[in-house]
Amino acid sequence: MSPLVLFHLAALLLLALGLYGLTSRRTLVGMLISVELMLNGAGLALVASARLTPASDELGQLGTLLVMGLAAAEATLVLAMVLVAAKRWGTSDSDRLSALRG
Amino acid sequence: MEQLAYVAYGLYLVLILAGGWAAVRCRNLVRSLLGLIMTLFGVAGMYFLMAAPFMALMQILIYVGAVSVLIFFAIMLTRAPGGEAGEEGAGARPALRTVLALLSGLLPAAILAAAIIAKTPPGVALKPEVPLSRLGQFLTGPYVLAFELISVVLLAAMAGAVVLGFERRKGA
Repeated sequence: MSPLVLFHLAALLLLALGLYGLTSRRTLVGMLISVELMLNGAGLALVASARLTPASDELGQLGTLLVMGLAAAEATLVLAMVLVAAKRWGTSDSDRLSALRG
Repeated sequence: MEQLAYVAYGLYLVLILAGGWAAVRCRNLVRSLLGLIMTLFGVAGMYFLMAAPFMALMQILIYVGAVSVLIFFAIMLTRAPGGEAGEEGAGARPALRTVLALLSGLLPAAILAAAIIAKTPPGVALKPEVPLSRLGQFLTGPYVLAFELISVVLLAAMAGAVVLGFERRKGA
């Protein structure tokens, strides 16, 4: 298998792990960790495509940089939301946070 | 030399696999965060392997340095009253839930893996490393709008986090 396929399979592995974690985790923080795994897979696939195909190198690397920035913003916001949920209901268990009306 | 690259790839893959497994399976969230950090280092190693050292260092700086610290705060600040910080409740994993979660992870992955193996173009040999100055030129030239937008998004996220954090005090 070519290196391109190998790197994409590694990215796919991260996606599968993240999906599994996102659906099996019960705490919100655990789900956040799984989302970070998937975002890493996306970055890996982007850089692999940029480096190992004739596509524009700068575009792929800067795109991954933007993904990282978005992941940082997302983590900040999710942290605040989890804290608010934990303060209001005393738990961050996604099974118990099922009320639509606060 | 090429054999050595495959060995390094296998090493990083093992790091990613072991770390990812710990990240999604460990009941203690601090341990699963450590698994996530291991995975992040594995991905950074893969960036080095693709001769993209700037991406690898950014990965370590942003993810390992900033995001994992944020997640650690989230773990420590959401402990259940009387419980240990970061523990998922006992009996949290009925077998059916695990099976369904495995299915939801493996099914898309299997479909995509078949597509990747069948359809990926042969690819080119590794291109020479992009100098950092060229990346900087692109970021301030053609992609300046994306650069500014991501700054605004970060600012908005930070402001939103602060507003959410003060929410309770307003009512008190």
